[in-house]
Amino acid sequence: MTEVHAATDADAAAIVASAVERARASLVGPGDWLTGAQRRAAWVEARDARTNELDQQRRAAISPNAVDGSHLATNDLSAAAVEVVHRMASDPGRLTRQWADEAMVDLGDATYTELVGVAATSATVDMFDWAMGDTDAPIGDAVDGEPAKVRPDSVGPVGAWVHQSLETTTANVSRSLSLVPVTNGPWVGLVDGLYSRGPGFFDMTWDRALSRPQVELVAARTTAELECFY
Amino acid sequence: MLLSVSGAQNGLDVDLEIAVDASRTGDAGVPYGEELLAFATEANRRSDSLPDAREALRAAVGHEGLLEAAATVAIFNGLVRVADGTGIQLDPSMVTSTVETREKLGIENFGGAANSIDASTQPRRTSTEPVKSLFD
Repeated sequence: MTEVHAATDADAAAIVASAVERARASLVGPGDWLTGAQRRAAWVEARDARTNELDQQRRAAISPNAVDGSHLATNDLSAAAVEVVHRMASDPGRLTRQWADEAMVDLGDATYTELVGVAATSATVDMFDWAMGDTDAPIGDAVDGEPAKVRPDSVGPVGAWVHQSLETTTANVSRSLSLVPVTNGPWVGLVDGLYSRGPGFFDMTWDRALSRPQVELVAARTTAELECFY
Repeated sequence: MLLSVSGAQNGLDVDLEIAVDASRTGDAGVPYGEELLAFATEANRRSDSLPDAREALRAAVGHEGLLEAAATVAIFNGLVRVADGTGIQLDPSMVTSTVETREKLGIENFGGAANSIDASTQPRRTSTEPVKSLFD
């Protein structure tokens, strides 16, 4: 069970900073199936997607499949892994099950899910720094060590593209990375610290610096900008 | 949508169309909504107008409010990618309750809608114990 916070407004800044710092560290450390160097490389690729010519051409096309070309492998990542990170970073609203299934043939479902988590976590920490001060988050050096390589017992098919926890009683998004617990821990910490804050998630009239409707207004515009159905 | 629910519980008449359409202007019925929407749009686009939008929002809601807004933009950049990358379905409580809203706002046209065509509408939760967090 992941520890969650019951926050007051007074310590909101500290909670946010702590969650972001933990997430940043996780992006350069050993993960579930990827090394720290591989996760760090994925973070760098996610940033590159903002200006990468192939990604921009795909983004502008009526379908990303209408554009010829593919991403190349790097020293740390296979071509399939680079492809997943770039599509996650640049055009998440047009991912399809077929595309994901093809990626998982090459990568395996757990590594695919870990790359999704790395892309999402890096998008969050980079956007937080950018929103506050027009810079990306600092990327630390890769940390040596072996990936955990543990597949949880309590995951299975629940209607998503990847296996997830069979036990969740709340929102589907809360279990989306449950196949990769090392990646999921800092991710859950980010969601809790930057948004839900324990039982506060169920409080529609919370007492924070922004009211709940103000926060949800920002969330609605953000999800619309990224064309997210969920 | 939690914007509708929270708006109603706070006595606000929220305009969802303004909330999700950057080509529309207005505060969407939310206090300081214009500043919040401008900040969210410019941050997501990493535009040159972001510094001005940030300072306008800071002047409206203070530094702590700006921090909450930045945190919200940031985490939803991640949540969107996790949802779209893992292909999760709409939650049972949302499948039927948001049909009209999804159609009205054009959200059904987003690619991720395909994931929820056969989503269950049966409540998942059987316990009567109160839920303590999003991650129970």
